[in-house]
Amino acid sequence: MNSDEKGGRLKGKDIPSTGVGSDVKSASVTKLQRFFGERPLSAVEMAPRILRYQSRRDFLVFGAGALAGLAGAGFLLPQETLSRIGIHRNMNSPKKEWFLNKALRIDDDVAEALYSVNRRVPTYTKWQITPLKNNYNGSTPDPRYISGWKLTLDGLASGLSISLDIRSLLIRFSVQEQITRLVCVEGWSAIAWWAGLRFDDLLRAYPPMSQAKWARVESSVNLDASGNPDPYFMSLDLATARHPQTLLATHFNGQPLTVDHGAPLRLLVPVKLGLKNVKAITRITYVAEEPRDYWAERGYSRYDGI
Amino acid sequence: MSNSTLADCEAKSTNTLPEQPGVLVVRKHHFLVRLSHWLNVPILLGLILSGISIYWASPIYQHKPDPNTGNVDVAADIGIWICAHVPGLHHYSSPPDWIYNHMSLGPGMLALALRLHWLCAYLFMLNGMVYAAGLLMGGGWRSLLPRWSDLLDALRMFRYYLGFPFAKLARRQWLHPLFNTKYNALQRAAYSSVPVAGLLSVATGWAIHKPMQLHRLAAVFGGYNAARVWHFWLMWIYIQFVVPHVILVFADGSDTLRSMIVGWSTRVERSEVVANEQ
Repeated sequence: MNSDEKGGRLKGKDIPSTGVGSDVKSASVTKLQRFFGERPLSAVEMAPRILRYQSRRDFLVFGAGALAGLAGAGFLLPQETLSRIGIHRNMNSPKKEWFLNKALRIDDDVAEALYSVNRRVPTYTKWQITPLKNNYNGSTPDPRYISGWKLTLDGLASGLSISLDIRSLLIRFSVQEQITRLVCVEGWSAIAWWAGLRFDDLLRAYPPMSQAKWARVESSVNLDASGNPDPYFMSLDLATARHPQTLLATHFNGQPLTVDHGAPLRLLVPVKLGLKNVKAITRITYVAEEPRDYWAERGYSRYDGI
Repeated sequence: MSNSTLADCEAKSTNTLPEQPGVLVVRKHHFLVRLSHWLNVPILLGLILSGISIYWASPIYQHKPDPNTGNVDVAADIGIWICAHVPGLHHYSSPPDWIYNHMSLGPGMLALALRLHWLCAYLFMLNGMVYAAGLLMGGGWRSLLPRWSDLLDALRMFRYYLGFPFAKLARRQWLHPLFNTKYNALQRAAYSSVPVAGLLSVATGWAIHKPMQLHRLAAVFGGYNAARVWHFWLMWIYIQFVVPHVILVFADGSDTLRSMIVGWSTRVERSEVVANEQ
């Protein structure tokens, strides 16, 4: 074979130089070429009866596999897709939801395993800032809510319910600036310049009850597409809330937040998808069990770590 | 199944039926290679269909909003063009959705498409490991390694394919170039680049799935947005691979297709040529 020829030629060249090293080298080159060289397929004589039996078995096994694949596709594909290819029977089943959610949970567990409180997300310069659109789910709220706005904290270690206005938040806490990327579940992203207080500082100032592992972050001012109240609520694990780049943002591009971007206070959690970055937060409740999540109830993931 | 058990079977069968002549076969594909090959069909189909549904939510190819419709998506433009120019589609209900209705699970189902995409993606990674195990256990990886002679041999194969239709029309004999290897240079290029594309798809997929925790991986591909473009175009590698792959398998005859199911082939000439040379 080709490789053997080459090996032979190399050996021939090496003969005049009597150095031991080169001999060793050529031997190892030959060995390498032997190892990587293609080997002839060995021909075997088979009795036709055995061959027929094995072929039949393999065709049956792979045929059964193909049927199972088709059944699996019918089971997993969305009803809309199935009816488009002419299957109008209702194939929706609770098992399908259970199975897809199971797969989603595995992915969430992977995301949780990847998370580290010490791993910072990349930051950018002001030259790299890109436009950020108003992606309010539904209509943008009427800005009149801003004048009476208060942030309420529940589930605290003190057992009290605390209300804070934006002035007292800004006086009490130091403001951190960061230019980070916000990534939407839809696939687009934007690099934006934010400033706000660290969620970790708020957690230190108003510690949650000892058994709390989650925060329920909600906005009561959100509206649906036709302008009716549609409160937005989201679950956030406290490990992520304590990340040094998780902000309760008050400023965007050096200016106080506008109503488009969730004035006067929004969550900015760059290690999560944009849908966790609740605008116009009105209440944070610390709880022991994972709270409900607006988008998880609509088929999206719950952890959403990126 | 290893050769020794085959030889045993053969020995037993010749003992019981000594008058029946044997058939010479070569073991071409390891069982795990065959298994992962066929599993790839539904998995890749699921990945592509759900992937295009995900693409719908935020197309990477956009233009300024159309003054009349507000459309920004180039794929929607193609659908509109198709509905306007293909006979029988003039009354299609939603031309901008034509592409997504025919080449994906459908528009407006991001949550479901994402769940299916993750499911298929994990299966795709597991299947890739099964394939790698099959290549290692069956020794098939050696036939996939590119070699320097491929550059010239690929040109010979190109010449063969280009001349083939003309030779057929002129009723002239047109000989297939001879190779004493399992695959010819073009096949080898295709069969070795698709696993590489698979690895890149997985890597770019992780880069856009976890762009913060794996931001160094995203940086390898030029950042988050560039990794999305990579991921999109890698999909086309599978499509442009599969079309000639399927056509040529059927053109080549039943032995090639059968060997991917049963593992053996009756084409022993090449193996003998190689065996004689050694």
